[in-house]
Amino acid sequence: MLHYGERGGWLNAEDLHLLEAFRRGEESAFTALVIKYREGIYRVARRMLGNHEDASDAAQEVFIRAHRALARFDGRSQVYTWLYRITLNLCLDARSRMARMPLLDDGELLRDVPASEGIAEQAEGRQVGRVVARAVNALPPRQRAMVVLRLYQDLPYQEIASIMGCAEGTVKATMFTALRKLRRTLTDAGVRAP
Amino acid sequence: MTKDCERILERLVEGVTGSVPPAERAAILEHLATCPQCRQEAAELEATVASLRESGPFATPPGFWGEFMTGLSAAVAGERLPVVLRLRRWLIMPRHAWGTALVAAAAAAMVISTARLPLRPEATPDPTRATARVLLTETMTTTLPSLGEMLDIWRAGLVTEGEPLGAAEGSP
Repeated sequence: MLHYGERGGWLNAEDLHLLEAFRRGEESAFTALVIKYREGIYRVARRMLGNHEDASDAAQEVFIRAHRALARFDGRSQVYTWLYRITLNLCLDARSRMARMPLLDDGELLRDVPASEGIAEQAEGRQVGRVVARAVNALPPRQRAMVVLRLYQDLPYQEIASIMGCAEGTVKATMFTALRKLRRTLTDAGVRAP
Repeated sequence: MTKDCERILERLVEGVTGSVPPAERAAILEHLATCPQCRQEAAELEATVASLRESGPFATPPGFWGEFMTGLSAAVAGERLPVVLRLRRWLIMPRHAWGTALVAAAAAAMVISTARLPLRPEATPDPTRATARVLLTETMTTTLPSLGEMLDIWRAGLVTEGEPLGAAEGSP
């Protein structure tokens, strides 16, 4: 069930309720929003920045900025779209500052592997995870952002376009280019499709 | 590569990432069935997407979210919202805030009214002084000049010591 936002946009009913409660002064409504969206925000930041510490700091900064601006949020987009936009802006800024630093902390690249997998399979999974994460990290920032939002957060192209501030066609064309690059990188690294 | 191939390749990225509507998906599949080149492209893109999706998501360290929330609460508590926002939030607070405001307004009114009270009561006229003036006739003060001087001193009250007596009344 969706409701109109203040300026005619559609806003998720649960988020609308939390937003109104926050504006009435209920701080717990903000906490509920954080709990709802923190994992998605952290994962985008982690994919964009490549290590846990920076992703954790970025996720926290996203919510600090959101808290500052939430009273002015006009409901023209979904709350998560707005949060992803803040996240990507922060990550792109952070990445330009970290340009000379290593992209990834390999020791942290731990994939969530089912306990049922054998040791050899887990090791192979981690190796593939490292190669894939490196390949994604080697993409130009905007291509990386689009790949992360589409493949890992499963956002529709229209919302990605809204977050990235470009046309939907541009997102699709950029994704096509990014996927071709990734295919070459993964093939060169000997990664087979699962 | 035909025009059809170019058109299909544009939609292929949507097809392999799972966001193409069923009707368009059928059209893509129909083309792929007859075009080995596009079929090869689609297979490679699909394999790439599968590899990318297989690699996530990342695990967070144990206890991470508890620490995250504690840190965030502390950071947010230290934030000072702009005055306009604080005022706006205060104005749309629940009703109990209005009760608090009413009590605060009453307290403020009390403080202001107390502050406006005179610090000392107005000096009341000294009845004995008026009586003395009536009793001292001109003849008496002319006859006894010291009596007139004594009356002037009494009138002047806090005349500075050593100052001429006439100065207390503004006389040259």
